[in-house]
Amino acid sequence: MDLFSNLLTGFGYLVGIQPAVALVAGVIMGILVGAMPGLSPSMGVALLVPFTYKLSPQVSLILLGSIYIAANYGGSITAVTINTPGTPSSVVTSFDGYPLTRLGKPGVGLGTSLVASTVGGIIGTIILIFFSVPLGRLAIKIHPSEYFALAIFGLATVASLAGRNWAKAFLAAMLGLFINTIGIDPISGVERFTFGIYHLFDGFTLIPVLIGLFALSEVFTRLEEGKLEKEKESEFQRSTWPRVRDYWKLKLTVLRSSIIGTLIGIFPGAGATIAAFISYDVAKKTSKHPQTFGKGEPEGVAAAEAANSSSVGGALVPLLVLGIPGSATTAVLIGALMIHNVTPGPLLFVNHPDIVYSLFAALLLANFVLLVLGLFGSRLWIKVTVIPKKVLLPTILVISIVGSFAVHYSFFDVASCVGFGFAGWLLRKYGFPVAPIVLGMVLGGLAETNFRRAVIMGGYGVFFSRPASIIILLLAIASFAIPLIQTHNENKKLRAETGGN
Amino acid sequence: MGIIRYLGQGSGFLVLLLAVLFVFGVVVFATLRSSRRHHAGRILFPVFFLGLSLIFLILLLNFPVKKQTGIGAGVVPLLWIVGISAFSVLLLVRALLNREAKDPEWGHVGTVFVYLGWTILYLILMQYLGYFISTVLFLLGGMYYLNYRNWKVMIGLAAGWLLFSYFAFYRLLFVPLPAGTLLERFFG
Repeated sequence: MDLFSNLLTGFGYLVGIQPAVALVAGVIMGILVGAMPGLSPSMGVALLVPFTYKLSPQVSLILLGSIYIAANYGGSITAVTINTPGTPSSVVTSFDGYPLTRLGKPGVGLGTSLVASTVGGIIGTIILIFFSVPLGRLAIKIHPSEYFALAIFGLATVASLAGRNWAKAFLAAMLGLFINTIGIDPISGVERFTFGIYHLFDGFTLIPVLIGLFALSEVFTRLEEGKLEKEKESEFQRSTWPRVRDYWKLKLTVLRSSIIGTLIGIFPGAGATIAAFISYDVAKKTSKHPQTFGKGEPEGVAAAEAANSSSVGGALVPLLVLGIPGSATTAVLIGALMIHNVTPGPLLFVNHPDIVYSLFAALLLANFVLLVLGLFGSRLWIKVTVIPKKVLLPTILVISIVGSFAVHYSFFDVASCVGFGFAGWLLRKYGFPVAPIVLGMVLGGLAETNFRRAVIMGGYGVFFSRPASIIILLLAIASFAIPLIQTHNENKKLRAETGGN
Repeated sequence: MGIIRYLGQGSGFLVLLLAVLFVFGVVVFATLRSSRRHHAGRILFPVFFLGLSLIFLILLLNFPVKKQTGIGAGVVPLLWIVGISAFSVLLLVRALLNREAKDPEWGHVGTVFVYLGWTILYLILMQYLGYFISTVLFLLGGMYYLNYRNWKVMIGLAAGWLLFSYFAFYRLLFVPLPAGTLLERFFG
């Protein structure tokens, strides 16, 4: 009962002008930060930290937590409307969100992403409230071999993303993994493939690469197609917004993805992007119509958005319970807490229950504020899709360039964005999907560091000596093999039907 | 091991690059002259990746290995290179066995290259004229090149973007957008 009374006290704290303004302002800032390619949730939170010096710890956390929640949704707006994911995790949203826009149904994509984000965020927060302590204990028991197994499981999702082009998808994933090895080796300090270029010492920055591969390659593809005379991006109609029963059909997908997202969010270093990829994969495998994924399936949008939003709740578990930041954003949050002389960790719940439970209450409420603001905003954001292409394409280029520059204030990043945009255009032309490259880059660090740590700790046999690691690896093998066998059979059938041609 | 050490650094690496480029050039020439020219892209992509894999393989074989653990900086990149090579060979075989479709038709490639050049020029101009002036020029020129002639929209968009980027990026987020060396010289 302590939990409920604490939670009620937390809600009570939100009744007041300052906390309410912080909540709404945080959500609006979060949406804008998420929607702007190049600005990540961690940057949004970091930028607002100086403004919290004079605020109370509770209000500070309400403001920063609201930004964190809303930024994950904000990334989906540009992913759905112009195929330019605002955050790495919304890459997965674009798989079906953007095809929906091209089909003239941007409202379905935006509406589904908003509702799935809201529900996912609420489920993630509820899991955080009720299970944070046992989940926190679990988080410190995770062995590097299990992290490696999780990364391999994430990579296995390529098999279902690939469709008929599985070899190309795996080649693309391998390229992403390889690109991730460029730079100074985090374990031994050896320079790898940098050719003496100091910009490469930290490797390629993910955000500019992602913007290049998605946004710029899309611009180049459209320019090459040359169908610019069809003035508008999509001839949407007001009636294309989902109805309540359309949302209801997605309930299982949203629930499952939210649980997956929260659990993966708990793994320090895993985060929203991996959660979104794995949830999308699971949604596709369990769907009655997997063939529609990638062609404008609202279930795909819901899976990705529910997972990335719920991962926020998961990521806060190790932060609050153990004082371990599991992501860049939670690392900034730790800094913000310490400014106010609050040390996250096991004693936080005992010494500062007011701070913890007002944060929990704010996170829950922020999701509802997000829903309301998102519903109003969607009517505005959908207008992006009726901008003439001749205006939209140069504008996307300008946004991409300033977005790439804003990450590290580096022209090298801008150049890599343009380079990857050009490469992405060529790769897409020849049927190589670009999403596995991003997946490879996201998982590469996690896979490599933990593979090497695990081998150093227990030799190569360590992966088969821990039950959790074995189970995750077996799941990965099944996740890898089943879509490949299905595709092989489909290809065989297709060849038989077309007489071998 | 001597040859690998030679090819992995200095003039040896240059020899390696030239050799790979030469072989790639020969494959391009041979493919375009053969009956498989309609599959040229499907063949050349995997060949390109195989060439890259060879270059990076030689580089990583020169990485130091920790004797105690036996797991040096090159182990994981080697794993990915083996994967890239394996899938490249698979795609190459598929293309040679007619299992791959013909190359896609090329559309307005000229427009893509003009735009790419325009983007590069924009980035160069940004160094001299600064972010704001070069962005206005890029937006107006980019829309004009695509035959868009509604000047009200063009100027409105350019001005709107300038205001947004000034307030959002420069003032609020403190992103040091380039001021331009020429303008700095004149105006300090």
